[in-house]
Amino acid sequence: MIARTRSDLEKAQTRAGYLFILPSSVLYAVFVLAPVIVTFILSFTYYDPMAGSHWVGLENFQRFFTGDRSLQIFGNTLCFSLFAVTGNVVVGLLLALALNRAMPAFLLYLFRLAYFLPVIIAAAFVSIVWGYFYGDDLGVINYYLVHLGLPAVHWLTSSQTAMMSIVIMDVWKNTGFFMIIFIAALQGVPRNIMDAAIMDGSSYWRRFFRIVLPWISPVVFFAIVYASIGALQVYESIVILTRGGPGDVTRSMSIYIVEEAFDNFEIGYAASISVIMTLVILVITTIQLIASRRWVRH
Amino acid sequence: MQTKAAQRLIDRIIIAIMAVLGVFMVLPFAWLFSMSFRAPGEAYKMPPSFLPPNLDFRNYWAVLHSSVPFLQIYWNSLMVAVVVTLGQLITCTLAAFAFARLKFPGRDSIFFVFLIGLMFPAQVTIIPIYLGFAKVGLLNHPIGLALMYLTSSFGIFLVRQFMRSQPKALEEAALMDGAGYFKIFYRISLPQLRPALSALGIITFTQTWNYYFQARVLLEPHDAMTLPIAMDLLRGYMASGNLSVVMAAMSMAVLPVILIFLLAQKLVIEGVTMSGIKS
Repeated sequence: MIARTRSDLEKAQTRAGYLFILPSSVLYAVFVLAPVIVTFILSFTYYDPMAGSHWVGLENFQRFFTGDRSLQIFGNTLCFSLFAVTGNVVVGLLLALALNRAMPAFLLYLFRLAYFLPVIIAAAFVSIVWGYFYGDDLGVINYYLVHLGLPAVHWLTSSQTAMMSIVIMDVWKNTGFFMIIFIAALQGVPRNIMDAAIMDGSSYWRRFFRIVLPWISPVVFFAIVYASIGALQVYESIVILTRGGPGDVTRSMSIYIVEEAFDNFEIGYAASISVIMTLVILVITTIQLIASRRWVRH
Repeated sequence: MQTKAAQRLIDRIIIAIMAVLGVFMVLPFAWLFSMSFRAPGEAYKMPPSFLPPNLDFRNYWAVLHSSVPFLQIYWNSLMVAVVVTLGQLITCTLAAFAFARLKFPGRDSIFFVFLIGLMFPAQVTIIPIYLGFAKVGLLNHPIGLALMYLTSSFGIFLVRQFMRSQPKALEEAALMDGAGYFKIFYRISLPQLRPALSALGIITFTQTWNYYFQARVLLEPHDAMTLPIAMDLLRGYMASGNLSVVMAAMSMAVLPVILIFLLAQKLVIEGVTMSGIKS
């Protein structure tokens, strides 16, 4: 009699398991794990394939954290992230609250269509369109401003406004994503608690801060982290709108990495900048993990 | 306490505000499509148009006959997006099946290592990949860009989560009958996964279609480019007068993604929500 024994089954399952994950594991090791490790190693070296690379310890990091230009770029990136994350999350939440009410199905369909459309179109494409909108003399926005008797704004060519113009476009483009995940979260707020609060006569905003916001706070945490990870990497919208200018006021870490690595062939230095970016992401993610654990305990 | 009528009035006002805002959200798209039909000489004439003045396809013709190899670039984008989408559907589903349904030593730690991948930005992998591609001759070949993304932690995670929410009684019964694991995967699990796979497919396609940072580093010659970088190049070429021609190229570039979105709005949004809430 041939019966499958327990250990046979386990062996077969183990073999099948490894076989099924084999393609992903190989690709993941080659295109993610190995490059990350190599970048970390490179960040401690001076890379020169001709004359030979050598170990420089923390020199690259020191250079980043002592240079005026690199610190300005670091500051730009953090500043952009702060405003873009706040804008995206706050506007997304307000839009979600506005749409979270009874309305005909086709209206909801149209709203979701309109607000989500910019999310799925490449930043590279919409930035070109916004570049024409933000133009000084021939720009669409300035045309209407002047028509209304208002002064024209140097959206991208003044160092005071350039970064904010990029943030505005970023919020226009990405806030629909946050709106959608907040709508899903709002629908999970228990009806009976809300009804009880309405019966008690508490106002809309009181209900929002006392019941709704605590209830959806894990999603808000997630949104903040997700938005930060995206914002810290900001690249194409800035490359296309201002090329990092005027001067360096809108240059981001990603632009700096590409310039140092592929224009100046400062491979080791560029690697150290990308390591710093990864560490910032790591810190933000860890804070979120700890914060959401604490929230769950309450 | 608010009365019902007051509440209804507030609802109406808010919906009206949202409608006005919604029009502003799509205005840039309306502008780009209408500008693509303007005669090049009138491109900068004010006021701008947000509805096509006519349906003159001359600018589209001009894009196809410009010095930028637009058709080749379009083909590159399409090829990369299709290869990556098919690749991820296969590799992620296989791995997700193993992580959701099979028991083997080290399973959970391996899965955790995959999850860590969600935190690494493209910036931290691009330098070694560039150096490696230069060595093996993959630099400046669109297929190199496709190779980088044949699997994804996100895809594995998405399909695994979905699979875990499905009952596994059928699979266990088939196992008792002596079916092999591949047969179980192919015959029983795969057909149940359709919603997750369509969501993953759509998200992956649009994401790949939109890659800019990686493409810009890895693909330099014009005929190796993908659309997002080519659009910036085209704008430079046409800088002075031919705004309308750039917008014609842009209309063609955004068309596949807009079509997918119009046809499968629910799936796109569900996929994005799934990815958002569960991680």
